[in-house]
Amino acid sequence: MKRNTRVKVMKKLAWAALAFSLTAPAHAKISEFSLDNGMKVLVKEDHRAPVVVQQVWYRVGSTYESPGKTGLSHMLEHMMFKGTKNLQPGEFSKIVSRLGGEENAFTSANYTAYYQVVGKQHLEKVMQLESDRMRHLVIDESEFLKERDVVTEERRWRLEDNPYSKLNEQFNATAFLNSPARNPTIGWMTDIRSYTVDDLRDWYRQWYAPNNATLVVVGDVDPQQVLSLAKRYYGAYQPEKIEATKPQVEIEQEGLRRIELKGNTQVPSLQMGFHVPSLLTAENSREVYALAVLSALLDGGESSRLPQTLVRGKQLAAGVSAGYSATDRLDTLFELTATPVEAGKLPALEKALLDEVEKLKTAPVSAAELQRVLAMEEADHVYYRDSIQAQAMIIGSLVSVGLPADTLDKWIDNLRSVTPEEVMAVAKKYLTRDNLTIATLYPDGKDHSHIKPYKGRL
Amino acid sequence: MKPVYSLFIAGLLSFASLPLWANVDIQTWQTSKGAKVMFVAAPELPMLDIQVVFDAGSARDGDKWGLASLTTTLVGTRTAAMTEEQINARTNELGAQIGGDVDRDKATFSLRTITREGVLQPALDLFKTSLTQSRFDPEIFERERQRTLVGLRQQQHSPESLAQNAFWKNLYGDHPYAHPVSGTVATVEQLKLKDVQAFYQRYFVAANATIAIVGQLDVKQAKQIAENLTATLPQGEKPQALPQPQAVSSVKREIVPFDSSQTYFRMGQIGVARGDADYYALFLGNHLLGGSGFGSLLMEEVREKRGLVYGVGSGFAPMRVAGPWVSYLSTKNASALEAEKVVRSTIETFLKSIDDTHFEAIKENLVGGFPLRIDSNAKISGYIAMIGYYGLPLDYLEQFPKRIQALSKQEVLQAWRKHFDLSKQVTVMVGQPA
Repeated sequence: MKRNTRVKVMKKLAWAALAFSLTAPAHAKISEFSLDNGMKVLVKEDHRAPVVVQQVWYRVGSTYESPGKTGLSHMLEHMMFKGTKNLQPGEFSKIVSRLGGEENAFTSANYTAYYQVVGKQHLEKVMQLESDRMRHLVIDESEFLKERDVVTEERRWRLEDNPYSKLNEQFNATAFLNSPARNPTIGWMTDIRSYTVDDLRDWYRQWYAPNNATLVVVGDVDPQQVLSLAKRYYGAYQPEKIEATKPQVEIEQEGLRRIELKGNTQVPSLQMGFHVPSLLTAENSREVYALAVLSALLDGGESSRLPQTLVRGKQLAAGVSAGYSATDRLDTLFELTATPVEAGKLPALEKALLDEVEKLKTAPVSAAELQRVLAMEEADHVYYRDSIQAQAMIIGSLVSVGLPADTLDKWIDNLRSVTPEEVMAVAKKYLTRDNLTIATLYPDGKDHSHIKPYKGRL
Repeated sequence: MKPVYSLFIAGLLSFASLPLWANVDIQTWQTSKGAKVMFVAAPELPMLDIQVVFDAGSARDGDKWGLASLTTTLVGTRTAAMTEEQINARTNELGAQIGGDVDRDKATFSLRTITREGVLQPALDLFKTSLTQSRFDPEIFERERQRTLVGLRQQQHSPESLAQNAFWKNLYGDHPYAHPVSGTVATVEQLKLKDVQAFYQRYFVAANATIAIVGQLDVKQAKQIAENLTATLPQGEKPQALPQPQAVSSVKREIVPFDSSQTYFRMGQIGVARGDADYYALFLGNHLLGGSGFGSLLMEEVREKRGLVYGVGSGFAPMRVAGPWVSYLSTKNASALEAEKVVRSTIETFLKSIDDTHFEAIKENLVGGFPLRIDSNAKISGYIAMIGYYGLPLDYLEQFPKRIQALSKQEVLQAWRKHFDLSKQVTVMVGQPA
């Protein structure tokens, strides 16, 4: 998406990122600072290569948006590459490219973030560039109109021609009725078409300020030097008054919701979700850790329950997954998705998924299963350190929703302390029929015989 | 092992190889069974990556399209001593990641594990037995075949997949690169268990293997690991060379009607093989034309100036024998023909002359960006597997920035004019182009 290779993916990613975390073995700790204007600065050293990543995260995303203006954060992300008082449209990218850098940006429900990966000698230059567009963006009308067309093309590509993405979008808007968690990150098409240049300018003014931003730097750097650069480039800006969003707490669901979507496909698909709290919204954070364990029991590796039972055992599903975005800033969903091996098996697959959910309520999980969950988490915690980008992503995604940076270091200990009884308790409390939304994708029934699938030289 | 189906574009990116500074110290040797090993010590993190690459991609399918892919999926699902569920449980309780991937040239099996005592050796044992002692169970075969068919039926309604498949078919005709890596519904329905067994016995042999190892090991440990990994593999032999693809003799254009809001466009031709002497010049030129995202001419003309697309680009996929060069985009149906015109005129202008500022900028991007290309074990592992498998010189990575730096505009244009012919492009559009 430039920007935005990740609009849709982010929800899962944030979770995946957090799932990587483990207790804190012997590796660099995070240095945490706060500038006088309220901007947070987090630095993690990784000296394996002479490379550094800079990320700036703004606390604004699709859950901050109003009806009629969905996707505005994402549209603004695109405009951030279109020039400032000091740079021509596109010049930002050209300068970073000449440095040999990689750069892009992404928007999610929870935040909008910008990054550059460069040789460490170029950190100051990219910091100067990034700080410039924090306060000096110029949103030109003709550039805006062209870029709005680009975003409509992006939506066509991501959503309109992909029935599975469309199902997910409509599922989400069904599960959430009054919470802005229902907003598609890219925005509804009619909203995108109706943005005005002033909508963008207002949105920029409202959210892009140092006290609404987090700087994350990971790589071959010295934290004190990063801090002094940050003071020089970001520290000079005045803080702004950032108005708090209204609570918009999702109403309680009091009965099953179900939708159908007919799409251009031969292969149906199923998506289910139960309302659950996140680490931000939970009254008792132990429920969140129990849900995280529960998610891994269902879909953490090939030996977990869903692939074992539904794909290999009963052979009802071609693919199946479970997911829980534990670090969303608002109440979230515990989700299940599945693709049947054949269309006729869709009802049986739905029943089998719900049977798996019921089992969690009645039979305590075994020690061996819990052990496997922890072993995978522990290994993942080593693997993610192979990427400076992944390390920075985890820090930024946590801090941007208001979680402490050391949430990560405490994560594995928290998972380790989850008991089988707690897993049963959250299953009973949240994974109920009255709290469930089901969306089903069906073939549209049109005659597709004019479509010639590839037959090659048969 | 689960194949990861990647889009064509993703494939291109992973092929777009670039190099390292001199500080990647590659050591290479052969195991006593004849497998080639590439090793880089990475002492910083307590982990290990191994890739075992066989010349067993879909180009080896013969007329059984999808065979290499299905075999890759089934390898390691069970062994003489372990059931499928035992293998899965063991993999997860070690925290190991074991997977398979297949493309037209090769089948690749990978292990990622932590190197902690008590984990490393069991993970290596599990990887070895999965890879070399695989048994093919009729029930698992049938189940995975059905799952593959579900994926292929999904692809039949994915305009992106349809465009990709039609492009390769039109470009490669009867060549083994022409058909889709995972086959077609019709061909996968014909596959038999005995086909998989025969494919495994023929191609999964030591003489046909390249092993890349990166991790917290010394060379002595790496030698033991490679030796042990191949000890029970039959020696076997390399398969015959693939035939050279024939360039199309005239312009080819196919429109596939499809009910989508965008038209999915591909235009390209046959490019070069890995190791081609002109590759540096072609790669540099393409990086400027359509290979460097927002720095590229196609992005500038089609997206930034006209707002016609979200994504547009181009790339070479150098392969064992000449792989394709392709340009790609998707745009609303009503803009498809306009976008095609812009792509063609951008290429025409590029072939006439390259602006000096653009040329220097793109060189700076490639040379300055080198350290980023080797900043993780995963990236280094990818490069040394490629160097080993395609038989590139050991100093390939060190040489790359030097060769790029030394190129002149004239050399780049000469190489392009030699290999590229705008009047003989294969064009595919899936959608309702207007």
